[in-house]
Amino acid sequence: MSGFLGPLDPGGRVPPRQQTLVAAFLISAHGALARQFAFTLPLKLDAAWQTELNAQFYRETEIVSLLMRATSWVPDIALAQMVASWETAWLPTPIEGIADRPLAQAVHLATLAHAVHAGIRPAALLPVDSNAQDPFVMALRRIEFESGRLLQAQILFLKGAELAPYRDAVSATLEKRHTGVRKLWRETLESIGIDLPRSE
Amino acid sequence: MPFLSHGSYRIRYELDGPADAPAFVLVNGLTQYSELWAAYREALLARGFRVATFDLLGQGASDKPTLFISQDDQVTALHLLIGELGDGPIFLSGISFGGLIALRYAIEHGEHIAGLVPMSCFAELSPQLLLIGNALRTGLILGGTGYLQDLLLPMNLSDQWLKPLLDKLDSVKRQGWLVNDVYALQNLMESFLDFQPLTPRLSAISVPTMILNGEFDFLTPRHLHETLRVEIPNSALVIIPKAYHAFTLEKGALTADLLARFADDVLAGRWQGNQAVWVAPDEPGGELAPFPAGYDHLRAIPVRRTQP
Repeated sequence: MSGFLGPLDPGGRVPPRQQTLVAAFLISAHGALARQFAFTLPLKLDAAWQTELNAQFYRETEIVSLLMRATSWVPDIALAQMVASWETAWLPTPIEGIADRPLAQAVHLATLAHAVHAGIRPAALLPVDSNAQDPFVMALRRIEFESGRLLQAQILFLKGAELAPYRDAVSATLEKRHTGVRKLWRETLESIGIDLPRSE
Repeated sequence: MPFLSHGSYRIRYELDGPADAPAFVLVNGLTQYSELWAAYREALLARGFRVATFDLLGQGASDKPTLFISQDDQVTALHLLIGELGDGPIFLSGISFGGLIALRYAIEHGEHIAGLVPMSCFAELSPQLLLIGNALRTGLILGGTGYLQDLLLPMNLSDQWLKPLLDKLDSVKRQGWLVNDVYALQNLMESFLDFQPLTPRLSAISVPTMILNGEFDFLTPRHLHETLRVEIPNSALVIIPKAYHAFTLEKGALTADLLARFADDVLAGRWQGNQAVWVAPDEPGGELAPFPAGYDHLRAIPVRRTQP
């Protein structure tokens, strides 16, 4: 087990099976966010903050599109079961302490997005000698960089005044989301020989 | 890798040296991690000390709280670590953000320590420090951890240190980039949003205190250390020649030597702070020189001090 992707091929590229599993996980997570932002996004914006929903929807869609094209895909029979477990994990779950349903739904989406954008660092898996000109390598770097920016909307909302009365519920929900997302990510990486430090 | 528990959070620490020896506890600055004290560990162990280091909550291998990290929690984590050290004399030192946590510990739990060494430290956010801190936070948000490191490196280290590393800065930054997460660093920086100045509380620090300040520290310049010297009764200010904010990285041998000599002096009853101002030697083992009498140590040019 290693903490990084590889061994790389002579051209500094990540093995196709590792590319496939990593890309499939990221497409599942960011695709779920794209769908959920799409459902939340009104046809006509009536508040300034909703412009961020539009941005989040398109950035998530861009990540999915990028991975579809940048990945060297190979068939993997284990993938169907893994995808099913991932997709189940992204579904909304009740949030204890917030009875207001629209607000609870917003907290669900923000905490899931925070966990994906903050807790998943695909570029940190790249060894130092990975080929910077390879599209998959570039895609992982770009996704991590964009995630850091997308994350700001979640931080602003979750730390904001509207949720101040629910701070404990929000913090508990977010910690739980991080734990769940990291567990799935770690299990995915373990299946391709990568060992992440356990934080859950 | 041992961990302490604070609520649901785990704090990674390292402890080396004989249990009955006087101990040094070293507290990291922002973006740092425990391994950066390796040279200090080696030097202080060789001088007969026990050495304890840890990763602040939100950094390194310690847990990274997702939304809020309070400075109170960092003080509690430090208190837990010091609680592991037994009844022998304990010297506490911290750099920058870690120095601030050490100051707070000394104010709140001073009875547990024999001496304090704040390094590149501050007790309040001057307008410059506040605005620089805001700009660094914006840099982190817009450019990620790598960009924050790009800003900090030239600000905090000398040309002499940087020049041979210019073509391999990525490898210098890599470990810090790997172990630090944007959201956790942001939480640490945002722990200053409700920061209250420590200046009115500094006089509560009664232990011997050696304040270390780099001659060319741009981020936390001399006057911020002067606040500590004036307010902490048994203190002395030691200026590290040709040093910048991160002199603990650049001048490890000299700094470790100063730490050991300070602790030896305190344990031998020789330490006299007197709120004096000293200039450290260029090399370990050299003599400290008193700042020239009559000159103003807050100026960068030789100006005679005006009497208050």
